[in-house]
Amino acid sequence: MKYLGARTRVIDWEARTNGSFQYTADVKLDGLLEGVILRSPYSHAKILRVDTSRARTMPGVHAVITAADFPPGARYFHEGVPDRPPLADGVVRFIGQEVAAVAAETRLQAQAALRAIVVEYQQLPGPLTTAAALGRGVSRLHDRQSGVDNVSRSVLRDWGSAETGRRNSTVSVSGDFFFARQTHACMETNIAVAQWSETDQRLEFWTSTQAPYYVASEVANVMGLKQDQVICHEVGVGGGFGSKSKICEHEAIAGLLARLARRPVCVKLSREEEFETTKTRHAFSMSMQLHADSAGQLRVIAGKIDVDNGAYNHSGVSVMGAGIKGLGMLYRPEGLEVSGRLVDTALLPGGQFRGYGTVQTSFAVECLMDDLAEKLGVDPIDLRIRNANQSGEMTLVGAELGSARLVECLTAARDAIGWTREREKDNRRPGRGVGVSASVHVSGSFTMPGANRSDAAIDVFADSRVRVRFGGSDAGTGQKTILALIAAEELGVDLEAVDVQMMESDKTPFDMGAWSSRGTHYGGHAVRKAAVATAERLKGLAASQLGDGDLRLEDGMVKSAARGIPIGTIAQLSNDLKDGILSTETSFVETSVVQADRATGKGNVSPSYNFAAHAAVVDVDRRTGRISVLDYVAVHDIGFALNRITIEGQAIGGAVMGLGAALSEEIIFEQGKVVNPAYLHYALPRAADVPRIRPILIEGGDPRGPYGAKAIGECSINPPPSVISNAVYDAIGVRIRDLPITPDKIINALARREGRSRSHHIWRRPSRWWIAIVRAAYSRGLLKILHARNLRFASHVEPAPLEKVETPATLANVLSAMGADAKLMGGGTDLQLQRRLGLVEPKRLISLAKVAEFQGVKTLADGVIEVGAAVTLTALATAIRHRIPMIAQAIDKIASSQIREMATVAGNLIQAKRCWFFRNGFGCFKRLGGLAPCYAIEGDHRFYHAAIDGHRCQATTPSDLATALSAVGADVVIAGPDGERVVSMDAFYTGPGEAVLTEHEVVRSIRIRAGATARLGAFVKLRLWEGDFAIASVAITANISADGVLHDPRIVIGGLAPTPWRAQQTEGSLDGKPIEIGTFRAALDRELDRAAHPLPRNGWKLDAAAGLSEQALEAVLRAHEAAQAAPVRESA
Amino acid sequence: MQESLRLNVNGKATGVEVAPGSRLLDVLRENLGLVGSKEACGRGECGACTVLIDGRPVASCLVMAETVSGAVTTIEGLADEFADLRRAFADNGAFQCGFCTSGQLVRAAALIREEWPDNPDEREAFVRHRMSGNICRCTGYTGIVDAILLTAQARRSSAADRP
Ligand code: FES
Ligand code: FES
Repeated sequence: MKYLGARTRVIDWEARTNGSFQYTADVKLDGLLEGVILRSPYSHAKILRVDTSRARTMPGVHAVITAADFPPGARYFHEGVPDRPPLADGVVRFIGQEVAAVAAETRLQAQAALRAIVVEYQQLPGPLTTAAALGRGVSRLHDRQSGVDNVSRSVLRDWGSAETGRRNSTVSVSGDFFFARQTHACMETNIAVAQWSETDQRLEFWTSTQAPYYVASEVANVMGLKQDQVICHEVGVGGGFGSKSKICEHEAIAGLLARLARRPVCVKLSREEEFETTKTRHAFSMSMQLHADSAGQLRVIAGKIDVDNGAYNHSGVSVMGAGIKGLGMLYRPEGLEVSGRLVDTALLPGGQFRGYGTVQTSFAVECLMDDLAEKLGVDPIDLRIRNANQSGEMTLVGAELGSARLVECLTAARDAIGWTREREKDNRRPGRGVGVSASVHVSGSFTMPGANRSDAAIDVFADSRVRVRFGGSDAGTGQKTILALIAAEELGVDLEAVDVQMMESDKTPFDMGAWSSRGTHYGGHAVRKAAVATAERLKGLAASQLGDGDLRLEDGMVKSAARGIPIGTIAQLSNDLKDGILSTETSFVETSVVQADRATGKGNVSPSYNFAAHAAVVDVDRRTGRISVLDYVAVHDIGFALNRITIEGQAIGGAVMGLGAALSEEIIFEQGKVVNPAYLHYALPRAADVPRIRPILIEGGDPRGPYGAKAIGECSINPPPSVISNAVYDAIGVRIRDLPITPDKIINALARREGRSRSHHIWRRPSRWWIAIVRAAYSRGLLKILHARNLRFASHVEPAPLEKVETPATLANVLSAMGADAKLMGGGTDLQLQRRLGLVEPKRLISLAKVAEFQGVKTLADGVIEVGAAVTLTALATAIRHRIPMIAQAIDKIASSQIREMATVAGNLIQAKRCWFFRNGFGCFKRLGGLAPCYAIEGDHRFYHAAIDGHRCQATTPSDLATALSAVGADVVIAGPDGERVVSMDAFYTGPGEAVLTEHEVVRSIRIRAGATARLGAFVKLRLWEGDFAIASVAITANISADGVLHDPRIVIGGLAPTPWRAQQTEGSLDGKPIEIGTFRAALDRELDRAAHPLPRNGWKLDAAAGLSEQALEAVLRAHEAAQAAPVRESA
Repeated sequence: MQESLRLNVNGKATGVEVAPGSRLLDVLRENLGLVGSKEACGRGECGACTVLIDGRPVASCLVMAETVSGAVTTIEGLADEFADLRRAFADNGAFQCGFCTSGQLVRAAALIREEWPDNPDEREAFVRHRMSGNICRCTGYTGIVDAILLTAQARRSSAADRP
């Protein structure tokens, strides 16, 4: 084959890399309006009244819609009882649910109108966790038919014979596992443009979707239109990962707004809305067991699963079913007995997400496989090989495996990762471990009528160009290119001669879209069939010219042995041309599949099954809990790689997304509201957080796949969580069953195992009594009361417009320009964000970028280094890297290079606290004052809150630069109307991110004290992702004499207390002594124990900070040794 | 309320009428039709809107147009000079959906011009660190990092070959 199986650039690569590829936001239509959505501020409430009358009369407003504008009883389709209306009708069941929407000329006008809509709610209690939902006496969210309150559906799957299996077992392992809510976080936020044509009575969409067919059918459903009245146009799709495989709520809203406004409308979610309101992966709580015999034959997989449905059904029923099904496909136990409950909670609903249930259940079972191997005393890979399903087998759930190369995957993973070498006793390094995991996924599940069918059409033009028409959409999977490759291959034309048109409802034939990993199988077969039919037609037409002999398609021609004629010329011979184009449309129906039996859940739902084994080497830092993934291989049984670039891309991309779930990603709630709705707060992997992923493709063909190909898109996300848990266990002997495996869980597990604990003797510290009492009261109901009294969830809105941005050139001009209506701006990196979050609402901004007095890094006569307030972080790092490397090290770890180029020194020091309650719309004490609560006391405070000195507010000072400057000894020069004053860095802060500045003052410069360059120093930081704010950071500097004695050490810890915290007692105890890490740690632990008053779940930060401090001191020592070895360094 | 500004974008001096405090990203996309720069967060956290100002990569969603005095370069202005990098992106699977790609390319272009570690073993970590302000949710970064390493390497060796 010429094209298939090679490495081919995607056909639209030029446009996708030169900025010209058109996404929905780039679609420009005349008269385009902006649509915005009013959302519920309550987890559960009755809507008593909605009054939109004032909003309708506001300037620029063209349409205001509520539930009353949709047909009565409109509900989205879903398996199980359809229960979600496009706009809330009568009841809201989660914070963020859509209540009304406005279309107006501008976003600002639309938002103003939103604020004018009056909604009267009557709050109802609502279960905010699955445990609460299942508890006694809780309020019911829906009327369900399961017979159990807040259980939307329950299933019991009992395949094979679990009973015999149990009898034949001699060993068993079990565990309770939790898979957190992960969110897709596509780079393009959800966006749709809709336009209604009154003449055609049709609604047109440009929308970022994986399934144009579904958008059309579901929009038609909720709007009371016929499916062919809704059409989609082709547009770039900025990621999907399952989230866009059904309708997304903004699409129906855009459709109705456009219809009523009689103008095109764009509804684009903000990044915050995307995190707060789009459906997530369903969280699974799983209590699972494996039973096996002593020979290592798996006998039974058993367990109970609770799936957090969120507030509405969506795909919950099907995700739960698929998760259990996945367990019936990988191995060969005698029986499987798993029950599941889909539990209603008054939270953001779950939805479709790559991995679809299997990623959750396989996490549990693949961890247990390792536990089982340990119990049996066998190698984990050997155990998996022994139990692996093979080609030709029928699995427990009824899957007919045409090909199954799981054993080959496992063997390849073993070789590639260096399994045997890593596990040899002599090679063992502390903290280092290796882990493996296996997985299986369908290649397009036959979930509903139509899902086993895909149509395609091929057009041949007179100039011999070929166009494939296909109804699905390519959200980045590379499907478009694969379809082109197939057409080029079958028609013997150059790839450059092939165009592919997708998702144009009027022109592209039926296909349900890219979900359930169906693109390869269904799209592949559909286009192949159409191409083969086209080739036959061309040969038939050519026979009159070339004779009936052996004809073939090659080089864009139909060729006989003697000569060839271009296919375009041949096509013109047809008397069936439309507009001069020869079109052939065919329909592919997969007959090998059935829909799963409703009662048993069994059946061969997929034409082929793709397998994978992943393996990784990790390093676990026992002192900080940080896990580094050092090496990662992803081996996939894909039958045949239609295009290696994109197939490997799916393996790598899925693995990294899975690593996100393994290590850091989780949507966190407090009082039902999402706490971390931003890339800043939702820890997903950046380039420096993950290693190179090494994909290995196992081929050999599948009897049913197109050209032998099987899917890959979802299977790659399944193994990483268990790979990491297994590798961590191998490294340090603790089993983490609770995702994501963040540093706190490592530190806590180690402390538990080693029997370590800290005691802070609060009863001996009267200054902390009051706080301890209040904290205790919080958990006993005080929070509830304060929350109810102050309930005021703000959401991000377009910042209020500015009147002016001023750019004064001198300090005097700055001082005279200042005023209550103005804010000073350095790089603006925090100020713009604060405006967006509604934390400040200035009318004027005064940019400090061009103020002469604020520039430059200068060395003054007395050796003091003066850094201008407006010097950017990058500029400071460059200027100081060789003189005080520690400061440059600290800067390198702040945010991103883009932010470091913009952010200024003063701006960094006075940025507001990053507490995720304060920042993300919680009406907390620091926002509202008075009796408003601090949500961090009970909320998730594991990472970013103070363990020392927390008071009314538990936030910390976010600036790493402050920590570093404090450790070298620095002063802040503050200018005001009465001249200048100088404040020591240690006295600069009065609270978390709050400085001594009055409103008439401005930071002019920082002065680093003389002698700082002679000190040795180090800066280390613990964070969840590269560029994140510090969970804890430590800066240490000291003078060290040639004999290794420490003088005047400064130890500053950031992220641990409201302001940078100096370990003064430890400093004192080290001064004048040689460095001894053990003594240092003991002194620091004593001091931390005396000073700390941690919150219930952030005490681990003390261990982590102490561990970081050791590492910092070790680095100082290394610097000292290096300096001793190269004494002439300073003269450079 | 509008004010007139002069901006130098992709080598051309341009006058624009904008509201006070307009974001550079909006001015590029709306006023100048340069839609290659994307908005994925509007908060300076993702890198999709990265442009160069005087060769330095910044998040254009946080820059106010009034404060820009340097030369602005967007993906549209870099596409030709960095055709090799774009091809390397395509050949190494450095994009899937492509939504982050303009930002990745602009950041990478600035990176390729930066001073690199002499030690080849440090280069991957160097690239990963510098590129960490650009989120890609699709590719898992391996392709992006490889495309940058290979392009930088090829440029270095062709520079070395030149007499
Ligand atoms: S859009 Fe500017 S950094 Fe994300
Ligand atoms: S290619 Fe989709 S986010 Fe990077």
